[in-house]
Amino acid sequence: MAKKISEKCYVHLNGRAMGYVADPLAYVEEVRAARRKGVISGEVNVAYLEKLNEVHINTDRGRVRKPYVIAEGGKSKLTKELAEKLEKKEIDFGYLIRNGIIEFLDAEEEENAFVAMTDADVTEKHTHIEVDPVSIFGFTANTAPFPEMNSAPRHLMFASYIKQAQGLYATNFNLRFESRAYILFYPQAPLVTTTAYESLHLDRHASGQNFVVALSTYYGYNMQDAVVLNKAAVDRGLGRSMFYKTYSDEERRYPGGQKDIFKIPPATTEGYLGEHAYSKLSEDGVIEPEMNVEEGDVLIGKVAPPRFLEESIGAGGLEEKTRDDSVVLKPGENGVVDDVIFTESPGATRIVKVRVRGLRVPESGDKFGSRHGQKGVVALVVPHEDMPFSEQGVVPDLMLNPHGIPGRMTFGHLLETLGAKAAAMKGAKTDGTAFSQKGSERLEDYAKILEAHGFDKYGEEVMYDGVTGRPFKAKLFQGIVYYNRLHHMVSNKMQVRSRGTVQILTHQPTEGKARLGGLRFGEMERDVLVAYGASLLLKERMLDQSDKATVLICKECGSIGYRDYAKRVDVCPLCNSNKLAEVEISYAFKLLLDEIKSLHIRPQVGMEE
Amino acid sequence: MSMAKDHEYNVQAGEPVGVVAAQSLGEPGTQMVLRTFHMTGVAATAIATSGLPRIIELLDAKKMPSSPLMRIRLKESYAKSFAKADEAAKKISEIKMSSVMRHIVENFSKGKILVVLNTQSLQAADLTARPIAARLGKELGVEAKVGEHGNIIVSTHTKNLKEVRAITVKITKAIVNGIEGAGRAMVVQDKNGDFYIESAGSNIEPVMQVEGVDPEKIYTNDLFSMYRVFGIEAARNTLALELRKTLEDQDISVNDRHISLIADAMTSGGTLQSIGRHGLVGKKESVFARAAFEETVKHLINAAAFGEVDHMRGVTENILVGKQIPLGTGSVKLVIKSKESKKK
Repeated sequence: MAKKISEKCYVHLNGRAMGYVADPLAYVEEVRAARRKGVISGEVNVAYLEKLNEVHINTDRGRVRKPYVIAEGGKSKLTKELAEKLEKKEIDFGYLIRNGIIEFLDAEEEENAFVAMTDADVTEKHTHIEVDPVSIFGFTANTAPFPEMNSAPRHLMFASYIKQAQGLYATNFNLRFESRAYILFYPQAPLVTTTAYESLHLDRHASGQNFVVALSTYYGYNMQDAVVLNKAAVDRGLGRSMFYKTYSDEERRYPGGQKDIFKIPPATTEGYLGEHAYSKLSEDGVIEPEMNVEEGDVLIGKVAPPRFLEESIGAGGLEEKTRDDSVVLKPGENGVVDDVIFTESPGATRIVKVRVRGLRVPESGDKFGSRHGQKGVVALVVPHEDMPFSEQGVVPDLMLNPHGIPGRMTFGHLLETLGAKAAAMKGAKTDGTAFSQKGSERLEDYAKILEAHGFDKYGEEVMYDGVTGRPFKAKLFQGIVYYNRLHHMVSNKMQVRSRGTVQILTHQPTEGKARLGGLRFGEMERDVLVAYGASLLLKERMLDQSDKATVLICKECGSIGYRDYAKRVDVCPLCNSNKLAEVEISYAFKLLLDEIKSLHIRPQVGMEE
Repeated sequence: MSMAKDHEYNVQAGEPVGVVAAQSLGEPGTQMVLRTFHMTGVAATAIATSGLPRIIELLDAKKMPSSPLMRIRLKESYAKSFAKADEAAKKISEIKMSSVMRHIVENFSKGKILVVLNTQSLQAADLTARPIAARLGKELGVEAKVGEHGNIIVSTHTKNLKEVRAITVKITKAIVNGIEGAGRAMVVQDKNGDFYIESAGSNIEPVMQVEGVDPEKIYTNDLFSMYRVFGIEAARNTLALELRKTLEDQDISVNDRHISLIADAMTSGGTLQSIGRHGLVGKKESVFARAAFEETVKHLINAAAFGEVDHMRGVTENILVGKQIPLGTGSVKLVIKSKESKKK
């Protein structure tokens, strides 16, 4: 029974059933032919879905489409003559699309296509050819050299790391007020590039530097994924960058005609931070450019009307009460005010933006990564004289632990080391586009160049220990690798606390850097102390260092009482007894008792001496 | 072993053995694969629940494991001969009507039901129509005969539509061979050349009655069957054994004392108790400890209704109020005789 319906193949246009056809394959081909001829728009995609026995035609927006060269009868439609014309710029890409040589497929139509990787692979059965094998990757992924030499997950990781790289993201960064921005001082174009990198002109917005890298351990300082940096290189500007952060505030209007005012708050303001905090502000209440600022300094002075109406009436004073709502530099931050601007919002309220800059010299704890998904954290910045050096006196900028290579199978990293070294000696960039050349051929090319310049064919060099002056027993693999400084830097993250703020509700320490919080001693950590039997250490963590509270508990009825300071007696509000004991409990327990009471249950506390 | 050695291995008083056992089992649990399937061993055990899901199942003391398994040892005379062992296995191996039936036709006017059997699956199961008909007749109290082409004709002696349909449903759900719940049984040979039966189901009580089966040597991974038939000690040992086996399966080594302790804890009440709301944690002495775990309000309200007193003897409740816990260094107290008591 069900068979009968499916003999007719439904046609869906943008997800709506519009009718049916008897021969879906012929129909689909007809639509495609019309598209290639230019009779209908090139943006129409059509697919026959065999499993559903449906034809889907899509013309709507938001489909991801990818260009393919059309193949017919085992031959590419992009003939040699056309390719030559294209090269001479007699025709352009648009010509190829208009004449049915290249077409764009969406995800659904791709299901109907049989795509050959290169012209050489085409058979009768193929319907399309990839424009270039690299188009299996996206723009970002194609900026890495030798991805075919690496394991796929590492290539994927590169694609996410490169987005975190500091560089020259825009040349007008001085005029922009990004909430956070990182500018690398001396960006370099990589010695090993790819066609995608060149055509995106990323060399004009480079986000890394060519580091001299030695593949070696260094007295255990680059264990796991740690790296060691050369102090001299850092002092000369290696990886140095500037961090920009924008603080902004607005003169908001409130119902009732009240509004915020930018100004140095008078000492009578509620929440006044003290004269010192406002000392760097100018008369307009906003800080001046090129002013050194440290944590706790006010950047924008602002007074706001009180939060609740009653407050403004209170005390009977004629002067309206105000509240301090200034923008303060966050704890742990410092720098120089880079620029200040005043603008206006669409609601005609004044807006101030203050951009603060801070120098970020690479230090231990900062993160670096190469273009092969190999990231590492600086563990030590070594004085130049203690670094290993080669016969020619070359000292590496960075030392990478060789144990990180085999397990991750990032052979592209090694090939780049050689390729960039050869490129540096030759004085010309080298190409590392995916699938463009066999790895072994590349290796031999580089070997030839290196040999011609008096280096070991495969990059190994006799190196001397900077500490002892003696040569190492093994030769070290040394070359050049393009490294990115990633935007995770310790100076923006580190935080300490010994004593500090507590939450209002629970009296427990706050959490998070912004609130000067502590690190949570959680359930699992608690279990560890229990398992160890360290009962007093546990009590210290859970009570003394957390929410210890001293409460008065009635010896007679076991409920919580209070101390009447005027009469100098303790009082139990329930039974009017004056015999109360001071007991140390966690504030959380006091809260629990309160909540139990809210359930209409009366808890009583019994005590022993 | 000397006495001195014995004492060396004893834990000291106040050692939090339970927490250590829980951590020792919990930490490897984080490394275990959440996969249920894994492909080794005999067909019956090939798709047995293993790894973390199995451990959870055991600690939850589930009524029936998701992949039950019986190991049935045979009496001497049966264990030596494959033919005899197979005979016993045939009596156990559970075959459902649905797996040998092609289709079923009802004749309401005559009150008869025609069951068309699948000859191929019958052959595969080594069955014929005659014993099936006999069994149907006996179990459903109907008249069942073998008709042409080896089909079974059931006469219901009623023309009531509902009753006929009810019998049809019973027939399709009927078991045509073996013991209900016993699963497919297979004969396996052990290292000594003795035959025994492995079965992918569990229902040990009727299996014990089967001729040739050694009723004292039946093993099942169903804890409750073991408890019901052999008692709490057997259930404890089964629990420990199953935990150990599951961990070993994943190449995880956990000291046997931890596993033993958990098995002891779960069976110490004389019945099988799960670890969780309905078992050990739910039966804790302290109100606060129970309320801190799950169903806080329920425990508090019940405690209020019954006027419960928390004696603050456990770990959780003491941490909650901020007292030193009565474990480890907190399990000792300093007692000084007062001057007055000295005089006496």
